[in-house]
Amino acid sequence: MTIWPDISFQDRIDTSEFRIHERAHITVNDDSCRGCTTRECVVACPANLFVPTSDGGILFNYENCYECGTCYLVCNKEGAITWTYPEGGFGIVFHRT
Amino acid sequence: MTDADIIVVGAGPAGSCAAIAAARSGKRVVLIERGPFPGSKNMYGGVIYPRILDELIPHWFETAPIQRWVVRRSTMVLSDTGALNIDYRSNAWGQAPYNGATAYRPDFDNWLAQQAVAAGADLICSTTVTGLLRDDQGRVCGVSTDRPDGDLTASVVIACDGVNSFLAKQAGLYPTADADNYTLGVKETLSLSKHIIDERFGVRDNQGVDIEILGGTSGVNGGGFIYTNLDTIAVGVVLKLSKLSAQKKRPEDIIAELKRHPAIAPLVEGGQVVEYSAHLIPEAGLEMMPKMVADGLLIAGDAAALCLAAGIWLEGVNFAMASGMYAGQSASAAINANNVSANSLKSYTDRLNKTFVLQDHKKLRKIPHLVLSDRIQHKYPAFVTGVVERMFRVDNPTPKPGVRRIVSQERKKAGIKLSELVRDALTGLKGFG
Amino acid sequence: MTIAVCIKWVNYSGPVESDTPDERFAGFSFADQAALEWALRIAENSSDEVLVLTAGPVGAEAVLRDALSRGAHRAVRIDIDLTSDSSVIARNLVGAMSQPRMVWCGDYSNDRGSGSVPSFIAADLNIDQALGLVALELPENANASFAAVRRLDGGRREQLLISGSAVLSVEGSTVRLRRASLKNTMSASKQEIQVITATGGRMDTPALRPYRPRPRVTLAPIGLTALERVKHITDTSSSKGHGETVHAEPSAAATLILESLRKWGYLP
Ligand SMILES: Cc1cc2nc3c(=O)[nH]c(=O)nc-3n(C[C@H](O)[C@H](O)[C@H](O)COP(=O)(O)OP(=O)(O)OC[C@H]3O[C@@H](n4cnc5c(N)ncnc54)[C@H](O)[C@@H]3O)c2cc1C
Ligand code: SF4
Ligand code: SF4
Repeated sequence: MTIWPDISFQDRIDTSEFRIHERAHITVNDDSCRGCTTRECVVACPANLFVPTSDGGILFNYENCYECGTCYLVCNKEGAITWTYPEGGFGIVFHRT
Repeated sequence: MTDADIIVVGAGPAGSCAAIAAARSGKRVVLIERGPFPGSKNMYGGVIYPRILDELIPHWFETAPIQRWVVRRSTMVLSDTGALNIDYRSNAWGQAPYNGATAYRPDFDNWLAQQAVAAGADLICSTTVTGLLRDDQGRVCGVSTDRPDGDLTASVVIACDGVNSFLAKQAGLYPTADADNYTLGVKETLSLSKHIIDERFGVRDNQGVDIEILGGTSGVNGGGFIYTNLDTIAVGVVLKLSKLSAQKKRPEDIIAELKRHPAIAPLVEGGQVVEYSAHLIPEAGLEMMPKMVADGLLIAGDAAALCLAAGIWLEGVNFAMASGMYAGQSASAAINANNVSANSLKSYTDRLNKTFVLQDHKKLRKIPHLVLSDRIQHKYPAFVTGVVERMFRVDNPTPKPGVRRIVSQERKKAGIKLSELVRDALTGLKGFG
Repeated sequence: MTIAVCIKWVNYSGPVESDTPDERFAGFSFADQAALEWALRIAENSSDEVLVLTAGPVGAEAVLRDALSRGAHRAVRIDIDLTSDSSVIARNLVGAMSQPRMVWCGDYSNDRGSGSVPSFIAADLNIDQALGLVALELPENANASFAAVRRLDGGRREQLLISGSAVLSVEGSTVRLRRASLKNTMSASKQEIQVITATGGRMDTPALRPYRPRPRVTLAPIGLTALERVKHITDTSSSKGHGETVHAEPSAAATLILESLRKWGYLP
């Protein structure tokens, strides 16, 4: 059996088309995250958009989001995540799914 | 006068069928989709059971953009090194009236929405519905959108806005969103030549294969799937949200591990990832279903959690199409009767109760949670493959042991109590039988 | 009068499997979008009509409807193969414009086109061109002249004052296109689009060849040993003789420079 190298995460995300809007449709309240020890979002977000920072916060980028809804469901801190859809016509566009 | 008779939110399978049904009965229908085209936001495993379309679009199979007709359906149970595969083949499924088909959602949903346009509905894309409009008595009377001058009024709104349904939530029809009721689906579309797919999966022409996988998800409760398209295959996993974060395993790593399983690797080898995608599934069936009717409002498809995700079944598109169609019909009937109150719209839920849409869900009520339970997920794959392995192993000169003894020994090895086995078997029998 | 906007139907991203974009993954570039927005802004303060044009197959009408929904008044599609020569496309676009006051274009298209259509349009209309604008300042009075900044090669900028008829091409970063209202989006899908069948051949252009200087004669290196010959070629300590300092008036200096370049073989 051959084990071929799995593609890098960036290459994986690059296979998806994102029509990026200038407004962030999801925002994360860094203050709430500082007290969070469980960090569900970091493991679960399929786009890996939640990055813990060295000073105990969370860095979030909205651009490559699949708009799945996982993060607001797994996060159990009220008010940490503000979640909306991007403006109509923007965001993820699937091709062969 | 209202801007439209019926506004349908979301041009997925539920929304488009609602729009077709309503437009056919002569209503002014506006179908609103937030993506740049219908299907652009939609992802699934890969098989549609379109027979329900016979009613709305006779001869749908002549124009629907399908990839392959499923003629082989396999269920695989994976342990760390072994695999039990139950495989059924019917070449009859490859001919009219057909059974299931693989298709890309950006193709299929777009085609279905065009049928709604042909039936007379107005399709408006790139427009996100942001909320419900209510009259002074609190009845739903339209929607607001994210466009300038974006309010639109109607007699009935049908919310087909998918698994996250903010409209159903805003209308107060969902109690609370509990992560336990959802699974995350992630998949890779892998390109392989048609020739290789035909050979590996034992099919030809436009015949296809559907493989559901139990086990192989790195200890995270869930399941896997492989579907064949014409010149790609879809490989993915479905993962229980609450367990995913508890197990500290990333979704893409779980797919990678599944792809490395000795029973899966030869099927996917050499396939290059041409697209990665993710989407939620309302997994809990009846246990999570919201109220589906309010004054001036109906909920259909995934928005109403009408998705059947019970282990070896992963069906949602057919439930969405059926519930959408019934919603469209009930909305028209209510408008004709000049009464769009919840009471009058209730004919919708009556229809669901009488047809497969809710009958299947009632029958399989306990199955989703059973299939995703820790015991089934973590102990049964080893138990089942262990039993079969011992049955087929030839240990000459030792004589073959009796099946009863193997079962009992393997059960103990897997740490399953006899009482648990009996209970699960009964739940399963009642559910599936 | 008419303000014309030329937009091109292109793939946003993803595989380009044929010359005809897949409608679902196609649209018009940010640059073309900016061109439309500037035209709409000017028309808002005047009685001008905004005419959008595109050249392409029937699928390209999607971008025209999009433009109509955002406020363009009229739309024309030139029915033509997307792979046609730029000058043919330009000539047909001009034919459908009838004496425009201004023509707006995006300065590049997503599909790495040659970007030559705007110049061909200016040539055919015989009006000025200001291409590659990176900033603009519209006047209060829509008919007054206005300032703009143009991108030059090498990161330099040129200030322009634009008045009268002109072909203008803008970068996508200059302005963001407005969002269409819901009502306009609904009505645009039913608005009429005029279709004109393309005619005519290529425009005459001077024959251009890539620049190739004449070969320069280099004498063989002198020296008895190989080492000396290599030294002769690679030695940098002694000058090989083009350096010369002269003092002259600009025009005389220019003549001198040309003469020297010719002598050294850089010019014919
Ligand atoms: C991984 C995975 C595998 C699956 N496998 C299968 C399978 O093999 N077979 C099967 O039958 N089913 C499968 N399903 C389930 C199936 O995909 C869904 O049940 C089905 O898509 C539901 O259809 P729908 O029309 O209700 O919702 P959706 O298909 O989700 O459509 C909702 C539409 O509404 C739009 N929308 C949402 N909000 C708004 C808004 N505010 N304004 C405007 N538009 C909005 C969305 O863009 C979308 O187009 C799978 C699901 C997943 C996630
Ligand atoms: S988003 Fe929620 S889960 Fe993630 S770190 Fe912040 S509080 Fe924790
Ligand atoms: S919606 Fe999904 S993809 Fe987007 S940030 Fe949340 S978890 Fe990640």
